[in-house]
Amino acid sequence: MRTLLLRLRLLTFAAGAFVALTFLARPVSAHHGWGGYLDAEFEISGTVESPVSLAGPHATMTIKGTDGHVWNLVLAPPPRSQQAGLKDGMIPVGSKVTAHGHRHRDNDRYEVKTERLTWGDKVFNVYPDRS
Amino acid sequence: MLDHQVVLDAAKWLQGSALGHFMRESGAWTYAIVNLLHILGVASLFGSVLVLDLRLLGLGRRLPLAPIADATGPVAAAGFALAAITGVGLLVTKATEYVGNPFLALKFPAIALGLANVLLIRRTEAWRDRGRRELLPREDRRLAIMGGLSLACWLTAIAAGRLIAYW
Repeated sequence: MRTLLLRLRLLTFAAGAFVALTFLARPVSAHHGWGGYLDAEFEISGTVESPVSLAGPHATMTIKGTDGHVWNLVLAPPPRSQQAGLKDGMIPVGSKVTAHGHRHRDNDRYEVKTERLTWGDKVFNVYPDRS
Repeated sequence: MLDHQVVLDAAKWLQGSALGHFMRESGAWTYAIVNLLHILGVASLFGSVLVLDLRLLGLGRRLPLAPIADATGPVAAAGFALAAITGVGLLVTKATEYVGNPFLALKFPAIALGLANVLLIRRTEAWRDRGRRELLPREDRRLAIMGGLSLACWLTAIAAGRLIAYW
């Protein structure tokens, strides 16, 4: 009986740690999914600071926004971004671009989950089913 | 705590390594494939560990421990190796972005504890004598505690690992 209780306690501890972690993470979600971003549509223009990178879980690039802040543009996962016409290292530094998508929920974070990227007359619909 | 600058320098070095370049520059699907192998490794590790730990905790006690341990051990070890190797690849892709990520800071100690627990359990007489003699209740209890600790460690490592992406 004592050992059963001990085992139950250990199992509860393990399950508790798991659940606690999951809840801890709720308000801060980012990058993955859309939960970490505002529902409202958002648009920012600027000049390219670092070109498109097709590395990691999501393609990314940074721009110097017209508001003076450096914005981190999170695009679709690399294969999907590539399908939309983006290539690694594309769009030279200094080019004017506009990102359309959703801003990060954290106001201090200049990050846009980008659905559509416009560069001159080229439009990259990385999430075509959303925009 | 580790000095932030030291961690950042190490992350920069990792990111600039040959593996870092390979992960970033060898095609759009590289990360996805390595990520898939990482999950397969974690699934093999946790699946086998779960069966063994639950048995140590007393579930299915009528099944002898020795064959369960013999069947799950190598699968867990192979799963861990696969997860560890691919995990390095995932990390070095953009290592600097993970500096300061609290879930990563939780994941690594959890893995270290889990591995230390494996070493400890393998050193106990009860573990070495499994299948050769009937274990004493005291020994069963000890193995149960270690099995519970193991579950807690790997569950924490998996939860923290998954949440790295949500920081």
